[in-house]
Amino acid sequence: MNQQIKIIIGLLVAVGILWVIYQIRGVLAPFGLAFVLAYVLAPVVDRMEGRGLERTWSILLVFVMAFTGLGFAAFKVGGKLTGEMVELSDGFMRREKIDKSFVIKNNGESPLVVENIAWEDVSKTQPFALLNIKDLPFEIESGGQTEVQIRFAPQSHQASENVLSVVYGQNESAHIYRLKVYGNRRNDAIDVGHRGESTGEMGALPVVFSHSGIGFGSAGSNIVTKVSTKASEFQPLFQDFLGSDFNLPALVKEHGERLTETMLGGTTVFLGGLVSGLTFVVIVPFVAFFYLKEGRRLIRTLIELVPNAHFELCLNLLHQINGQIGGYIRGQILATSVVSILAIGGLTLIEVEHALPLGLLAGLANMIPFLGPLIGFFAASITALATGGEFGVVGEIVVVFLIIQMIDNVVIQPTVVAKSVEMHPLVILFVVMVGSQLMGIVGMLIAVPLTGILKVSSQTVYEGVRGYRLE
Amino acid sequence: MPSDPFWSNIFRRRDKEEADIFDMLKKVPIFQDLGRREFNKIESILHRRNWNADEGIINEGDPGVGMYIIVAGEVRITQVGEDGVQQQLATLTGGDFFGEQALLDESPRTASAYANETCRIIGFFRPDLLELIESNPRLGLKIVMRLSQMISVRLRHTNRLLKEARMRVKQVGEENKRAGLGRRETEGEEAGAISS
Repeated sequence: MNQQIKIIIGLLVAVGILWVIYQIRGVLAPFGLAFVLAYVLAPVVDRMEGRGLERTWSILLVFVMAFTGLGFAAFKVGGKLTGEMVELSDGFMRREKIDKSFVIKNNGESPLVVENIAWEDVSKTQPFALLNIKDLPFEIESGGQTEVQIRFAPQSHQASENVLSVVYGQNESAHIYRLKVYGNRRNDAIDVGHRGESTGEMGALPVVFSHSGIGFGSAGSNIVTKVSTKASEFQPLFQDFLGSDFNLPALVKEHGERLTETMLGGTTVFLGGLVSGLTFVVIVPFVAFFYLKEGRRLIRTLIELVPNAHFELCLNLLHQINGQIGGYIRGQILATSVVSILAIGGLTLIEVEHALPLGLLAGLANMIPFLGPLIGFFAASITALATGGEFGVVGEIVVVFLIIQMIDNVVIQPTVVAKSVEMHPLVILFVVMVGSQLMGIVGMLIAVPLTGILKVSSQTVYEGVRGYRLE
Repeated sequence: MPSDPFWSNIFRRRDKEEADIFDMLKKVPIFQDLGRREFNKIESILHRRNWNADEGIINEGDPGVGMYIIVAGEVRITQVGEDGVQQQLATLTGGDFFGEQALLDESPRTASAYANETCRIIGFFRPDLLELIESNPRLGLKIVMRLSQMISVRLRHTNRLLKEARMRVKQVGEENKRAGLGRRETEGEEAGAISS
C-alpha cells in the first residue's frame, strides 16, 4: 500500500514537472539546443583535453571551429534554404484570393461625384479586380463615405502591381486620385501609407482616401488545391466503386487544408517564439559553453544534495544516463545528417524543386521510425507534382527513398542507434501525434528523440535500482 | 584583510586542513605517485561527505561504485556470517580506506560499512575515474597502475595463503587416509572375526 502511494505521488510529481516544462517551453528552447550542442561537442573537447590542452581553451577552440563551419554553411546555403522554406510553406498555406478595401470619405459641404474608377493596367492577366463598384458615376453626399473593395486573385505566385485611378469632382473641379496596389512582393504584406482621419486639422481636405496604397501580401495557387485538381483526374475511377457521392478532389482539399493548418500552423507559432533573432544566437553558445565547462561540477553539486542513503545510486545513475543520452543524441544527429545529405543529393539528381528543404525534412523526419520515411516521401512527391512534375517523378522519388532507406537500415541505424531505444510502433505513433498536436511539425520531430531520452533514462534508473535494496 | 586576525585565522585553518587532506591522500597507495598539480585535478572529482553515527556508508550486496577514504572519524566494517548474524571484521580510522575494488568492477559489495561516530569521508568513484582516463589518460593511468599493483600484491598474498591452505588440506587428507586405512584394517579384522 505504502509502495503504491509512493508510486502515485511520484507519477503526479512527474506530470507536474512535465506540465511546467510545457508551459515554459519557449524559454527552454535555447537551453535544450545548447544541451544538444554540448553533447555533440563534448567528445571533441574531452579528446583535446586528453591531449593536454586546458579545458577552457579546448572548448574555445572547438567552438571557434564549429561556429566557423556553421557560419560558412549558413553563409553558403542558409539564405537559399530559408528562402525556399518560406516559399514552400507559403505554397501550402497561401490563400488563392485576398480581398481588401479602402474608403472614400466626403468631408466637404457639397456632394462628391465619383466619375470613374479604373485600372491603369487593363491587360487580361492582371490579377486585381473591383468587387462592389458596378454603377459609375455615383455620388457621395456631404459627410458620407463609400467603401471600395478590391480582390487580388493571381493565377500564379508572381509579383504584381497596378494602379487604380479614381476620377472625382466636387465644386465643378475634377481631380484624379491614384491608388497603388501590389501583391506577392517580398516582405510587404501590410497596408502602406495609411492616411488616417486627421484631415480636420490638416487644412481640412474636403475628400479623404483612407489609403494611398494597398499591399495584398502573398496569394496565388495553393499546393493543396493543385493536388486536389490533380486528384480530380482519378475521380471517375473511384466513382465506379464508391458511387457518385464520393468526391475525391473535395476530400483531398478539405483534409489537405486541415492537415496543413495543423502541421504548419503550430510550427510557425513555435518558430516565432524560438527564433527571437540575436538573443538566440548569443544564448545558445553561451549556455553550451557553460554546460561543457561546468557540467561536471554541476553534476557533483547535484549529487551533493542527495542524502547519504541514496547517494551512490544517484551518482552511478547520473553518469550512466549522461553517457546514454550523449550516445543517443550524437547517434541521432549523425543519422539525420547522413540521411539529409543523401536525400538532398538524390532529389537534386532527379531534379525535384526545393530539394534542399525537402531533403532536410526527410532527414529530420527519419528520426521517427516507420512514419518518418513516409513523411519525407509524401512531402517530396506532393511538392514535385504541385511544381509541375508529371506522375513519373513519383516513381523516381520512390526509388530515391528506397535506396536511402536501404542505406539507412543496413549501414547507419545498426552502427548509430542503440538497441535499448527501440520503441513499440504504437508508442511512436502516440508520441508523434501528441507532438504534432502540441507543436506542429517541430513537435512531431522532437517527440521521438525526447521519448528516446526519457526511455533511456528510465531504463537506466530501473536497472540501476534493481540491484539495490531500497527501503 | 590578512592583518585581520579573524579572517586570517579562518583562512589559515582552511589551508591547514587542505594540506592535511593532501598529506593524507598522498598516503593512500593509489594516489602515491601524484604531484601537487595532479592532486589538484583529482581533487575536483572527489566527493566530500559527512556521515552521522551509525549511518550506513555501504551495504553488503549493493553494486559497488567506488572507494572511500576516511578523513576523520571511525568506521566499522561488518559482514553477515553464515549464521545470518552481523560480524564485525575491522575498525577503520582517519587515513584508512575501503571499497577500492569497486573502482575496477561493479560486483556486489562483500561487506557493509557503518560510521561509529560523525565521520568526514572522501569518496572516489568509478564513473569519475573512467572520465579521468578519457580526459587525462596519463593521470588516469598512474592511478589505475597503482590500483592494479595494490590488487596484485593482495592477489599474491592470497595465492600464498591458498597454497598454504592447499598443502594443509593435502596434509590433513593424507593423515586422515592413513588413519582411515588403519581403521579399515582393524574393521576388517573385526568383520572377519564375526564371520568366522
